[in-house]
Amino acid sequence: MSETSILPSEPTPELTRTPAFEARLKRRYAAERRFRLAGLGAILFSLAVLLFLLVTMTMNGIGGFQRVTLDVPIRFSQADLSLPPATNNLGVAIRSLEDQGLPEVIHAEAARVLGEDAADELSPDAWRIVAEEIIDDPSMLGRDVELALPTSANLSAALSGDGHAELQPLARRLSEQGVLADRFDPGFLTRSDATDSQLAGIWGALKGSILTMLVTLLLAFPIGVLAALYLEEYAPRNRWTDLIEVSINNLAAVPSIIFGLLGLAVFLALFPSLRSAPLIGGMTLALMTMPVIVISGRNAVKAVPPSIRAGAMALGASPIQVVFHHVLPLALPGILTGTIIGMARALGETAPLLMIGMRAFVATPPDGLTDPATVLPVQIFLWSDEIDRGFVERTSAAIIVLLLFLLVMNGIAIYLRNRFEKTW
Amino acid sequence: MVTDLTSNKAPKMRARDVSVFYGTKKAVDSVSIDIHTDYVTAFIGPSGCGKSTFLRSFNRMNDTIGNARVDGCIELDGEDIYKSGMDVVQLRARVGMVFQKPNPFPKSIYENVAYGPRIHGFAQGKAEMDEIVERSLRRAGLWDEVKDRLPDSGTALSGGQQQRLCIARAIAVEPEVILMDEPASALDPIATAKIEELIDELRGRYAIIIVTHSMQQAARVSQRTAFFHLGHLVEYGETSQIFTTPRETRTQDYITGRYG
Repeated sequence: MSETSILPSEPTPELTRTPAFEARLKRRYAAERRFRLAGLGAILFSLAVLLFLLVTMTMNGIGGFQRVTLDVPIRFSQADLSLPPATNNLGVAIRSLEDQGLPEVIHAEAARVLGEDAADELSPDAWRIVAEEIIDDPSMLGRDVELALPTSANLSAALSGDGHAELQPLARRLSEQGVLADRFDPGFLTRSDATDSQLAGIWGALKGSILTMLVTLLLAFPIGVLAALYLEEYAPRNRWTDLIEVSINNLAAVPSIIFGLLGLAVFLALFPSLRSAPLIGGMTLALMTMPVIVISGRNAVKAVPPSIRAGAMALGASPIQVVFHHVLPLALPGILTGTIIGMARALGETAPLLMIGMRAFVATPPDGLTDPATVLPVQIFLWSDEIDRGFVERTSAAIIVLLLFLLVMNGIAIYLRNRFEKTW
Repeated sequence: MVTDLTSNKAPKMRARDVSVFYGTKKAVDSVSIDIHTDYVTAFIGPSGCGKSTFLRSFNRMNDTIGNARVDGCIELDGEDIYKSGMDVVQLRARVGMVFQKPNPFPKSIYENVAYGPRIHGFAQGKAEMDEIVERSLRRAGLWDEVKDRLPDSGTALSGGQQQRLCIARAIAVEPEVILMDEPASALDPIATAKIEELIDELRGRYAIIIVTHSMQQAARVSQRTAFFHLGHLVEYGETSQIFTTPRETRTQDYITGRYG
C-alpha cells in the first residue's frame, strides 16, 4: 500500500465548478423548496378542516347546552300541598304530589301571571321538575317562589324564529317581559334521552359509553397484550403461528358491522336477556379492538432491543422475568398507543351496537353492566334522525360531549404512556 | 485435539468436542479446551471464525437462537451444563456475561447493579443491597464516578462507563466465570485501557474468557490465548508463546497481520 493513495486526490474543478453543475444545484434546491411547500400546504389544509369542524360544531352545539325556560312565580303558600311523611321513594313522593294536583296548581299560577296561552305552552313534564325541587327542599311548600320551567318544544322553536308562526307573537311578548329566554341548561349533562328535545339529556348515553368502554378495555387490553407477548416471546415460528398472524391482521380489517352480527349471533344467543346491555356491547367492541392491540403490541415488543433481553437473560433472569421486568415495561408505550387507537375507534363505533340492540330508546341511565343502555354515537345517530329543531342542537351538543370524552380518554392514555416512556 | 495445559488445579470449565450448528451450518467444529480460574483466556481469530458462538455456548445463550444446536459436552466444575435437567437460570447466575455493545437496562445505575442480586434473592433488606451495589461498583472501578448519581439512568453514562456498569452488573451476582464478548470494541482507547485494567484486577477471582479482535488486547490482558479459524481451534497456549513462537503457520499469519 503506497503512502499517496490514501491522501485525498486533487479536487477536480472541471466537474463541480461549471455553470451546468450550478444549474443542477439550483434545480435540486428548487425541488426541495417545492417539497417543503407541499408538506406545509398539507398541514395547513388539515388544520383548516379541523378548525372548520370544531368551529361549526361549537357554534351549533352551544345551543344544545341551552334550553328555553319560562319564569313562573308560584305561590305555594296559597296551595294546599304536602309531602307524604318520611318516604325515601322518589317515585311515591312524585306520584303523591301529582295526585294532590301539583300540575294543575302550576298551570293555574302560570295562567294567572302570564296568561292562559303561555301556561298551555309549558312543557308537559314541567311539574315533575317542580316536584323534584320540592322534594329537595320541602320548606319551599310554605313560600312563594319563582321557578324557571322548560317550555314546550313548539314555543322554543317559535322563540328562535323557526316555525310555529302562530306562537311567535306569544314568544315575543314573553321574551319582552323578560320571563322567556334561552338559558344555559346544566341538566343536559345529567338527564337521559326523552321524546321532548327540551327534556332530553346526554347522561344516559354518556354513562352507557363509559360502561361499554370499561368492558371493552378490561377484555381487550389484557387479552391483546397477553396474545402479543405470547406470539412474540414464546410461540415457535411455524405454519400455525403464521396462520394466527394472518388471521389477526385480517380481523383488524374486518368491517365493524360484521362484529355486530357476530355479537348478535354469539353473545345474544348465549345471553338473550342481555339485549342492549353495555356488557354485550363491550364484548362486541372488544372483539374489534383486540386485534389492533395485538398488532401494535407485537410491533412494540419486537422493537425492544434484543440486547436488553440478552443482558437480563445473561444475569439469570427466567423468561417470565425477562418479559415482565424488561420487555413489557419497554413495550408499554407502544402498546398504549395501539390501545388509544383501538379504544378511540370503539368509542366512535355505531354499526355493531345497532345490531345488538343498543339503539333502543332508553330514558333512564343504566345502573349496571346488564341494564339496557345506549352509547354516545348511537344517541347522536338517533337524535340526528329527529325532525324537531331542538334535537338538531342537542345532536351537536352530544357530538361535543363525545369529542370531550374522547379527549379525556386519550389524555389519560397519553399521560400513562409518557410516564412509562424510557429513554436510552 | 484436546488441548490441556498442565495445571495443578482442576479446570473451572472444560469443553470436549464441542460443535455448534446454525441449522445445517457448522459454526464451531469439535473444539476442546480447558478454562482455569487463575488465568484470563483470550479467544482470537478473524471475523466469522466461531469464537463468539463458542463463547456463547458456555452459558447456553445459544439456546435463545431458534435453530442453534450444540453437540459435545461443556462442564462447569465437572458437571455437564447441557445435560437434561440442568437449570439454565442457575447456570447463568454462575457464568456471567458482558456483551460487545454496552447494554445497561434503561433503569437507574443502582437498579442496574441490584437487578441480578434481587431476582436471585441474594440480599435481605436495603442495607445489604446497598452494600452489594457499592462493592460491585467499586470492583468495576466505577464507584467514585457514580456514587453521587446512583438514581440517574444507567443509559446516561458514557460508553466506557456503561460497559463498566455492565461488568459491575455481572459481578454483582458473584459468578464463577465471566464471559466477555469483545467488551472494548465499541470504546475509545482510554475507556478500553480502563476495561483492560479492570480485567486484570478481576483475574484470579473469576475465570475470565475474553473474545477480542485486537491482538494487542489479547497480549495485554490474557495469560492463555486460543486462536480460532473457520470454526476450528487452531492453537491454544500461553499467550506469550502464541505471540512469539506460534506452532502453526495459520496462527503466525494471523498475528503478523497477513490475513484476518
